[in-house]
Amino acid sequence: MDSKLIRNFAIIAHIDHGKSTLSDRLLELTGALTAREMQAQVLDAMDLERERGITIKAHAVRMMYPAKDGQTYQLNLIDTPGHVDFSYEVSRSLASCEGALLVVDASQGVEAQTLANAYLAINHGLEIIPVINKIDLPSADIPRTREMVEQTVGLDGNDAIPVSAKTGQGVPDILEAIVHRLPPPKGDPGAPLQALIFDSWFDAYRGVIVLARVVNGTLRKGAKIRLMSNGRVFNVESMGVLTPKPVEINELSAGEVGFFVATIKNVSDTKIGDTVTEDDRPADAPLPGFEDIKPMVFAGLYTVDSHEHTLLRDALEKLRLNDSSFFFEPESSAALGFGFRCGFLGLLHMEIIQERLEREFNLDLITTAPSVRYKVTMTDGTLLEVDNPSRWPDPSEIEQVEEPIITATILTNEEYVGGILKLVEEKRGRQKNFEYVSPTRVMLTYELPLNEIVLDFYDRLKSVSRGYASLDYHLSGTWISPMVKMDILVSGEPVDALSIIVHRDHAYERGRALVSKMRELIPRQQFEVAIQAAIGAKIVARETVSALRKNVLAKCYGGDISRKRKLLEKQKEGKKRMKRIGKVDIPQEAFLAVLKVGEESSR
Amino acid sequence: MHPLGLYISVPFCRSKCTYCNFASGVFPASYMERYIGRLSEDLQSAAAFTPANTLDSIYLGGGTPSLLPPQLFTTLFRTIRDQFEVLQAAEITVECAPGQLPDDTLQAMLECGVNRISFGVQSFIDQEARATGRLHTRAVALADLRRVQQAGIARVNADLIAGLPYQTEQSWLESLQVLCETQVDHASIYMLEVDDDSRLGKEVLNGGARYFAPTVPSEDAVAEMYLSAIETLASAGWQQYEISNFARNRAESRHNKKYWQREPYLGLGVDAHSLLRNPDGAAVRFATTDDLEGYLQSPAWYDRRTLTQQEELEEAWFLGLRLNSGVSLRKLEAEFGTAAIAAFRSVINELLEDGLLLESNGSIQLTPHGRLLSNNVFERFLLSGVSA
Repeated sequence: MDSKLIRNFAIIAHIDHGKSTLSDRLLELTGALTAREMQAQVLDAMDLERERGITIKAHAVRMMYPAKDGQTYQLNLIDTPGHVDFSYEVSRSLASCEGALLVVDASQGVEAQTLANAYLAINHGLEIIPVINKIDLPSADIPRTREMVEQTVGLDGNDAIPVSAKTGQGVPDILEAIVHRLPPPKGDPGAPLQALIFDSWFDAYRGVIVLARVVNGTLRKGAKIRLMSNGRVFNVESMGVLTPKPVEINELSAGEVGFFVATIKNVSDTKIGDTVTEDDRPADAPLPGFEDIKPMVFAGLYTVDSHEHTLLRDALEKLRLNDSSFFFEPESSAALGFGFRCGFLGLLHMEIIQERLEREFNLDLITTAPSVRYKVTMTDGTLLEVDNPSRWPDPSEIEQVEEPIITATILTNEEYVGGILKLVEEKRGRQKNFEYVSPTRVMLTYELPLNEIVLDFYDRLKSVSRGYASLDYHLSGTWISPMVKMDILVSGEPVDALSIIVHRDHAYERGRALVSKMRELIPRQQFEVAIQAAIGAKIVARETVSALRKNVLAKCYGGDISRKRKLLEKQKEGKKRMKRIGKVDIPQEAFLAVLKVGEESSR
Repeated sequence: MHPLGLYISVPFCRSKCTYCNFASGVFPASYMERYIGRLSEDLQSAAAFTPANTLDSIYLGGGTPSLLPPQLFTTLFRTIRDQFEVLQAAEITVECAPGQLPDDTLQAMLECGVNRISFGVQSFIDQEARATGRLHTRAVALADLRRVQQAGIARVNADLIAGLPYQTEQSWLESLQVLCETQVDHASIYMLEVDDDSRLGKEVLNGGARYFAPTVPSEDAVAEMYLSAIETLASAGWQQYEISNFARNRAESRHNKKYWQREPYLGLGVDAHSLLRNPDGAAVRFATTDDLEGYLQSPAWYDRRTLTQQEELEEAWFLGLRLNSGVSLRKLEAEFGTAAIAAFRSVINELLEDGLLLESNGSIQLTPHGRLLSNNVFERFLLSGVSA
């Protein structure tokens, strides 16, 4: 296809601002799918997934659009993940496009995540088309939203297209704007092949499926390709595009987007951001921007039932087939037995993995408090990287500790600034910038320890701003900080899986909050249970779960023994989901109590 | 063959008490005749399938059976005696509400052979009784207790509940004191069950203000009340023989003990439960519906289930331990084999160490502390997690 008739674009939107509705509407308008087919398609896909266990992801959809100028254009919509944990993936998706739709809710305005991605897109040289969505709502304020686009993103607000993805109003204007305002891809179809990998997944029947954007050269079926980061060579067996139904084709030339299958067995070989070239005629250099992404958040995963340990390993291996961005290695805990130390891109990523393990593999899991990776310089000059509190060295041998720092951008309404400032101060933040982006919107830029973010920052931010604050962040270096290990003792015995690393000056306060939360989460037992927080030998906080006094069924109505049995069985099932440490049954959520200390007490 | 116990539920009440979680309620009087008719049919069909046809106990529970008109009592008992042989020494109990037992009904009961009456007193403190919807006062209850004994009902039980609205440790002791001064020979001491199955329980769980829920004593306070009941009654010459049951002069309820000793009983009427044994000795449990309309419309048995050997062993523990006499290891070994019992040794040792069980003369018993935490103890005697 003549590259002048190709447009590659992404949609940038805050969660709930209407990205998927808009995508559906574009598919419908270009005839990729009719409204009825769209439903049928979704159903087909689900049946297929159910029957054959294939994961079908439409992460890049090709649409053919007959524009008003009489020409038919090939529009490739490239999806982007919508969470800060996946900002690298977002950046690679954006690098595959020449333009982006920036979708802003006509009542809510621009959010931090959207803004961060919009800046990312501008930095990648993308042409941006602002779209004001949800204009059908009574609360829509188009002039104000135009103003905000201008003030916060720095784009001409008059260029914004008002639409309602829900009713379809204005959507045809978007298609015309894509054709006329976005540039066609550049690139030389005759040059040595350079294709950017922006997504890949494992299919049980076909192996790894790779989504790529050809930047230069032509990718052909049967070609011998080389992945430039690791030098591995594969044969392209088949290739195609998603319309969103998969359609086989024989080649993709410069500017085009599609998928290929090449007997790749391991998804970790196809790293996002890597460059695909031809083995016979390799490109001189890979495309810029490749990073080997590293996990930022670490936690221990254990099964409640220690016999399920090998099931957990199998499940983790299966999940890794599809997600090479988390890692795991065996670890063991005195309290929890054998488990795995896992690294994640962020807290959401951790939650997703945890939920998939529980849902898809039916495992009952205990997750330990998330931690970050510290650089510890020992007095003898050696350097350690520690992400597991139970591996924390003896304090007398520590020279200094460096903790990872992020730069956070928080966008909020003026009235919540006070509460947010208090929160970021409490979280040891240092202000970098304070700016009114509109008369009522404030953008705060702070440096914060990552450690504080993974503990309970999101939920606290949400509650102090009543949900009207959005957050974006990126890693930006380290601070030297006096970090110490805080142990939690249950009935006098330290439980290694409950230890956390905290800033020395905040240890007392955090210890108190933590044991008080644990007191709420640990049910009363046969005996009084003492919960203590300790730094070294020093107890900094203590709470007591008083002994259970009464658990008895007195009445037996008409000899109903079945009811008694059911009650006992239910009680026993409940205990199974707890971990018995010594003589104390600890529920799963108590191991993550540190994430919940900011929540309101329920007792 | 062991004689049977017969339980008949009579679900009719004048008003529904707030703590009540039974399948009883206020229904039109016309239902009573239909109900007794349906019971008569059931008695006939049950007599055909029960292996033993002799009864050594009959228990009419409620609801409020004393609300049945005299002639329905006569009809019911005539049918029972037509279908079953009622042993001369049979214990025949009827539950009554104080103030709701007319003279002619009492007379009919005596003629039917009733020799034991159980009164749902619940509290001798008028404010507490009233708060839960009981319709009687202390004076009325005491008068009824005297009246039935004078009429010739030798054995009388009174129920008391710890944990009622407005109750305090002091008012509870007062109720117990009044109980000790009566001539009744049996008392059931229950603790309020706070769960979703009663209006009051639900209100307490939801933190609401209806039914005087805010004045319900705490779980810990109720535990204290239970312990003080054990102490008070013991010093007044009562013997506790089960978690909730106390007797004077060895007047233990034969019917009640059947449940804990896994002796056969047949339950008829709404929400009634049965335990019978197959010719090969296996226990079979089944029940009736808890819906009165459904019961009147179609006779059917529910939840019929032949227990496995393992389930019987579990029951032997969690029912047998409820009795103060406990579980005799020798008897258990005779029934289930030495190996099956040996498997529990480590659990028993742990519970002995925790002070929840004690071992004496070859039998395992709950301690008073163990009684309060008996569900924690019983759970340990379940081998499997879930049964079908």
